[in-house]
Amino acid sequence: MSTAASLRVDGLCRRIGGRAILAGIDLEVAAGECLALLGPSGCGKSTVLRVIAGLDPCDEGRILLDGRDITRQPPARRRVAMVFQSYALYPHLSVERNLTLGMELRGVPPEQRERELTAVLELLQLSELRRRRPAELSGGQRQRVALARALLRKPQLILLDEPMSNLDAQLREEIRPQLRAILSGGRAPAIHVTHDQQEAMGIADRIAVLHDGRLQQCGTPQELYHHPANLFVAGFIGRPQINLLPQADGTVVGIRPEHLVAVGNGGLAVRVLSREWHGASQQLLLESEQGPLRWTCDGNQAVGDDLRLGWEQRHEHRFRQASGERC
Amino acid sequence: MSRRLAAIAQGLALALALALVIGLLSRAWARPAAVVRVLMPAPFADATADLVAAFNRSHRDVRIAVTRGPFETEAVSDLAISSLLLGDSPYDLLLMDVTWTAKYAAAGWLEPLDAWLGPEALAPLVDGARAGNRIDGRLYRLPLVADMGLLYWRTDLMDAPPRTPGDLAAISRRLQEQGKVRWGYVWQGRQYEGLSCVFVELVSGFGGQWGPGEPGFGLASPAAARAAGWLQQLVHEGISPRAVANFAEPEALQSFEAGEAAFLRNWPYAWQELQRPGSAVAGRVGVTTMVAEPGVSPAATQGSWGFSLLRGSPHPDAAVAVLRALTGEASQRQLVSRYGYTPTLQTLFNDPELVAQRPQLPQLRRALDQAVLRPLNPGYAQLSDILQRQLSALISGRGDAAAAMARAGRESDLLLRASGQELSPRPQEVGA
Amino acid sequence: MNALLLMAPALLLLLAVFVWPLLDYAWLSLQAQSVFTGLEAVPVGPLNWQRLAADGRFWQDAWQTLRFALVSVGLELLAGLAIALLLHQRWRGRGVVRSLALLPWALPTTVMALGWRWIFNDPYGPINGLLQSLGLASVPFLAAPELAWLATVVADVWKTTPFVALLLLAGLQMIPHDLYEAFALEGGTPWQGLWRITLPLLRPYVFIAALFRLAQALGVFDLIAVLTGGGPASSTESLAVYAYLNAMRFLDFGYSATVMLGMFLLLLLGAAALLVWRRQAEVRA
Repeated sequence: MSTAASLRVDGLCRRIGGRAILAGIDLEVAAGECLALLGPSGCGKSTVLRVIAGLDPCDEGRILLDGRDITRQPPARRRVAMVFQSYALYPHLSVERNLTLGMELRGVPPEQRERELTAVLELLQLSELRRRRPAELSGGQRQRVALARALLRKPQLILLDEPMSNLDAQLREEIRPQLRAILSGGRAPAIHVTHDQQEAMGIADRIAVLHDGRLQQCGTPQELYHHPANLFVAGFIGRPQINLLPQADGTVVGIRPEHLVAVGNGGLAVRVLSREWHGASQQLLLESEQGPLRWTCDGNQAVGDDLRLGWEQRHEHRFRQASGERC
Repeated sequence: MSRRLAAIAQGLALALALALVIGLLSRAWARPAAVVRVLMPAPFADATADLVAAFNRSHRDVRIAVTRGPFETEAVSDLAISSLLLGDSPYDLLLMDVTWTAKYAAAGWLEPLDAWLGPEALAPLVDGARAGNRIDGRLYRLPLVADMGLLYWRTDLMDAPPRTPGDLAAISRRLQEQGKVRWGYVWQGRQYEGLSCVFVELVSGFGGQWGPGEPGFGLASPAAARAAGWLQQLVHEGISPRAVANFAEPEALQSFEAGEAAFLRNWPYAWQELQRPGSAVAGRVGVTTMVAEPGVSPAATQGSWGFSLLRGSPHPDAAVAVLRALTGEASQRQLVSRYGYTPTLQTLFNDPELVAQRPQLPQLRRALDQAVLRPLNPGYAQLSDILQRQLSALISGRGDAAAAMARAGRESDLLLRASGQELSPRPQEVGA
Repeated sequence: MNALLLMAPALLLLLAVFVWPLLDYAWLSLQAQSVFTGLEAVPVGPLNWQRLAADGRFWQDAWQTLRFALVSVGLELLAGLAIALLLHQRWRGRGVVRSLALLPWALPTTVMALGWRWIFNDPYGPINGLLQSLGLASVPFLAAPELAWLATVVADVWKTTPFVALLLLAGLQMIPHDLYEAFALEGGTPWQGLWRITLPLLRPYVFIAALFRLAQALGVFDLIAVLTGGGPASSTESLAVYAYLNAMRFLDFGYSATVMLGMFLLLLLGAAALLVWRRQAEVRA
């Protein structure tokens, strides 16, 4: 449905009132690829999206779409589609009018409008709902309409701003593979903004982690998990959270809860403080000399048990305390 | 700080207690004073404030409480009527315009004054002020000040004022052509009571009369048609500005005061305004009666203010005592000398001291002697409204004067017939 | 039964403030109660209604009132929309202008009517002053029947546009901003956005504003009483002014009640027409 293109963002900066919201963001998304922008709220990830879409101005840097510099172009000319967090459906128009309005504005002939409308309604299983108003739709249906509208734009880039945040947990899991299939069906690159790492890992080919307006690391979900570039990424990716043990030499050792193993002697002496049972595994909160620890295991420890824990060297991550960078 | 507050509070409490005791004692000793409540338009309330204060100082058993009404005549009437309609009037005395009397009497809101004032109550007044107080032989109102329509003229532009409508128009045209004035004659042409006032003296000057006795309440007459036609002509010929169709007293006065017009129709109050330092015509203004056709005596619309006793007053004796005091000689003298009002008592017009102070008094007396009254009819407001509508249409440029007056006459007849009043002449008013 | 009980206070209130006066007027319209009857009520059957039907002044005033209301409210909606759109934008000093723009609405009608009487004054008012300084003839705004009604419209528009603007501004602020962003990304221009998004979504607010303003404008009284007194030649007289004249000046309460009821019936007719129109518009959409 879309033409192949690739997006390159160089040194994107955005300041509001002297405060840097984005401080030099570099991104590259290949044709057909889906990149997730992941970060805690307020990290600037939605701003990246808005600057790329042209809804917010770009103070510094360049945006290249398929080699074309669109940094100063008005939003209407960028051939970028966006699915808003609120879906931004026109409340006074039926589903089909919501979908055809854009084509009408762009001067698509009526027969072609009808053809493309039917196709997209089919693709997103909306045919039954074409005469309904947005207020008469469920959250998931609205999201599909918003997505359909984005697809009909025939964009060279699709932007999705927290498209799942208004759906309940079960629906999210249902929709994730569908969304992934639809996005990879087109050849346009997609950027998916989310604060939910599971969603990011489930949908995206690559994930860019953002914090305080700076790009922390960009890579496949596996890379981020196994080789976090710094303390922030290590702490942000992976649930339960990684254990961070400060060392005397000014470094911090990070070890994921599932990589801890019980050892006969040596290692760390710990005591079980609390226990959460998750079926396949259990999650323990432990007390040690170096502070609290999280351990994911399948054993049968009880609260109050004393144990000794160790880990394999290959699972150990080491960061510099001062800079947070990986050693 | 809190100690000081406590001291103040103690002081206050003590003062309150004392006041309470004194109040109770004085109430026990003094006979309760009858409070006479009077509603007056704001200018009169202000002008009589000293008199009222003096009265209250010198009388222990009667107190006057004045309600200062709105400025505008009709707004005062609205206020009075709204309270009267609710039943018991909150006022004992009402200062009334001459046109209200018949309506208020017919509505049953007024108490006749004959029982207190006797048959000779109006004898000390000048002729022009006597009219408009008696209805069907009963006295309902005692006038406080007189008012009448006057013609102001520019002494610097002519030797003598015009006496006829033709003169006025001719002098106006000449002065306008010479570029000495922009307009000839400014007057009140807005659709409101002032327009009826302009008309009533003019129709007399054309030999007619607005009132019962002739068909169409005097409007279906050649005199009425000529008077109305003359007003219309003034505007058409540019002797009066087109804007006169929305002129009330202030607008007309403003134009004359700025030196833009040769003649002004207004009430006595305008004299003082025109002599003010800011006035472009100060010292160059004469005052006379309205023009009249040759052989017809000129007329001045009477518009006096007087006190009426409202029915249901809880202490009519005290109210009448107040009415007597406020309309008495001392009171009128002060209103004349201090505020420039026109008196109603004969003696004051000849008072050398007052005449020295107000040199226009003799001229006012002459105008008052030729006063004509607007019809004393309970339906006056409606009759006046009928007339105003037709006149306003003529002045603002529509239609034929004779036809318009005939129409006004028909509507007036219809109204009177519907109200059960006879169309034939009927003595409604006995002068004195 | 329970529902009726819960609604009872509201129904009683409605009865007291609305139905009761209406019935009272209906009764009064069948009486002769005027200064000619000594303010006693004398039953006269439908006499007042016959008089109303034949009263050219009533119908002239009805037409004038309707013309005044439709033209003023129409202009107020246009001007109010323009101002609301302007105030909805972000610009320096907007807050100050927002509060200033409300001033005319806060001013008592009589005060502002006096002001306009001065502005329209011929020849001393500022408008005519300007015309004359440009070498043009002064215009008797309030003295010419064909101009005076327009002058009342101008004064009314000046006074109540802020109210309409405020209502529409509230409506504008209810429209989510991301609709416009989505629209822009789809290739829509701001002008298209006005027609495709703003106006359709503002419609309920326009409707409310029009309803409020029409109800007020059809009952216009103080503005006209002060500005023109209904003249010249009753060309600016409204039904409310006529009803007032009959009651307070002529003391003809029977006929005044008839005029007011007549006005109420016309109003009811207008409201019904408006509702039907709205219903049809909804069905069409």
